[in-house]
Amino acid sequence: MRKAERYNPLVILFQLLKLVRNSVFFVVYLFLIKAGSESSFIVYGRYLFFVALGMSVSSIIAKWLTQKYRLDDRSFHLYKGVFNKSEWTVPFSKIQNINRHTSLFHRLFGVTSVRFETGMEGEGADVSFEVISRHEADRIEAAIAVSQSQALKEVSSAEPVGVGAEEIPSDETESTAQQRTVHFTPTQKDILKASFTSLSFLVLIPVIISVYSKINDVFNIEDKAGGFVQSIWSSKWLFAVIVAAFILASMLLGIARTFLKYGKYEISSDEDHIYIAKGVVDKTTFSIAKERVQAVELQQSVLKRWLGLAEVKLISAGGLKSDKNVGEINSLYPFLPVTRAYDMIAEILPSYELTAEMKRLPVSSLWIRLLRPSWLWVIITAGLYVFQPRFLAWWILSAVLLAIVLIARWLGYLNTRYILHRNFIQMKTGSFATTLFVSRRDKIIEVKVTQSKIQRLFGLATIGTVNRAKPVHRTGVKDVPLKEAQAFYNWYVGRTQEIEIE
Amino acid sequence: MYTQLTPPRERISKDAVKVWLIGETILNAIGFLILAVLFYLDYRYSWKAWAGWILKGSTIILILGSLWTFIHPFFLYKSWRYDVSEEFLQIKSGVLVERHELVPMTKIQSVATKQGPLLRKYGLCSVTLTTMGSSHTIPALPQEIAVQLRSQIVQYAKIKEAES
Repeated sequence: MRKAERYNPLVILFQLLKLVRNSVFFVVYLFLIKAGSESSFIVYGRYLFFVALGMSVSSIIAKWLTQKYRLDDRSFHLYKGVFNKSEWTVPFSKIQNINRHTSLFHRLFGVTSVRFETGMEGEGADVSFEVISRHEADRIEAAIAVSQSQALKEVSSAEPVGVGAEEIPSDETESTAQQRTVHFTPTQKDILKASFTSLSFLVLIPVIISVYSKINDVFNIEDKAGGFVQSIWSSKWLFAVIVAAFILASMLLGIARTFLKYGKYEISSDEDHIYIAKGVVDKTTFSIAKERVQAVELQQSVLKRWLGLAEVKLISAGGLKSDKNVGEINSLYPFLPVTRAYDMIAEILPSYELTAEMKRLPVSSLWIRLLRPSWLWVIITAGLYVFQPRFLAWWILSAVLLAIVLIARWLGYLNTRYILHRNFIQMKTGSFATTLFVSRRDKIIEVKVTQSKIQRLFGLATIGTVNRAKPVHRTGVKDVPLKEAQAFYNWYVGRTQEIEIE
Repeated sequence: MYTQLTPPRERISKDAVKVWLIGETILNAIGFLILAVLFYLDYRYSWKAWAGWILKGSTIILILGSLWTFIHPFFLYKSWRYDVSEEFLQIKSGVLVERHELVPMTKIQSVATKQGPLLRKYGLCSVTLTTMGSSHTIPALPQEIAVQLRSQIVQYAKIKEAES
């Protein structure tokens, strides 16, 4: 067992830089914008700023001096507190996923940052190292992997592991590192498709429009001065060349942006973990034990449906949205070809079985969907009637809105599919963008069937599931036949036969 | 709904109706009081016409709503069923929308009994069960039954699923 250690000293530098970044606004305001001001508000503001800065700096240093961590075979032990000492323990078995983020700062110093997420609430919900040497991060991850796979073995085979606990780690880590298979890295074609789908080539269009209008202003002025410039501008080919150049630049920029974001993507897995790595400058890696995947979602926007692309998302109990500036990384590549997406789910999650055969809704559920009052339409129509827009008669707008609402419902009816397939449930919903949800019975933490009076009239009901996530993930299908809803309820009761009791 | 499960049979205390009625009456009274004050202010300071319309509209909504809150408790009481077994918590409730909920005992994290002043008046308790992501409340049970239920759920919920 090791002694409790301090965090990497670079944490101080990292937090100081963060502090500088956060205080830029105050510096600019107090010392540049209001440079000459003698008003007491500003003068005291400056004093206050220095006091706050001093306190922040000393708290950063004090924190580094007092915060320590220690690992044993099974858990993290964290110590903190300047005046009130506190200590808490986070068992490895509670860790749901691991997020590693290497920003430019980290790369400059050859370090990285790691966050271990437990999916709990409150203090100790995640163990995070803002700066940590790569070697140390690897060591911790390996220790967790070992303890988790050991726990798995203990559960799956009731026999205790025969080998001494100390011998296992080294073997295990080496063997897992070797068996990693890469499932996907985007090709240039994928990136082109991605940049098109994410519409990032449109970024320059607002710029073009504003530049064009500015040029137009200038050109109008010169128009009065003389016809020379106008003759150039009015020549169509020159105008076309300029527009084409802008479009080209815009596309290149879009592709470059997409490349920075999705270029170095890699999805890999070994026997019991999934690894996702992304980013060219800022690198982020995400790893999750396969058994901790609560559900899988396949999302398609309208554009992605046209191009046959899909985004596969893993739902994990530890919050997946990491820091705002780090971005989401629960997604296996967001622009996967659909067939590849299905294959990959089968490859990396062999315990998941996807089936293409799914049930459709009966016609009665189309009727109920069309008949259901649309509050959105009612409220907007009332608003239109009261405020009588000038450009179009209110009833035309209202009719158009009604048509859109009904079309969306009709599409929703067409897109909805569901199936109970052994211990799996698949539900596909959505009118314009669709989501296919797949989960296992033992991962669903509760179910619900609801039936409104009007649904009873049609013999329909709504089914719903809840999965662990942060916040909980709810999914459901509206207006399935009551019989299917009953089957769903009974299907869930069947989970008692397959769960393992601790 | 219940081919493999026995449908939930336990009912909540009949006094729940009174508790709900009193609670709703108090809330409605507060609502009307606020409206009355607003009407007075409208009259006193002659607000714009649309403010008057909004006030009249909300009065109608409040009247309709309060009528509903005087009928609703009776039906809600009639619809409420729950049951606790070694494996599942079952809840059935709802008047206009009937909801059936099924929560595995192994997923329940905590159980609490609560008692506000109204519930205390009738010697009732509410029992709240929390899972990893949601909570379910059985609104009004006689105190002994609530405590008994709480300890029973604690017994059942002690068993935990292997998390892997």
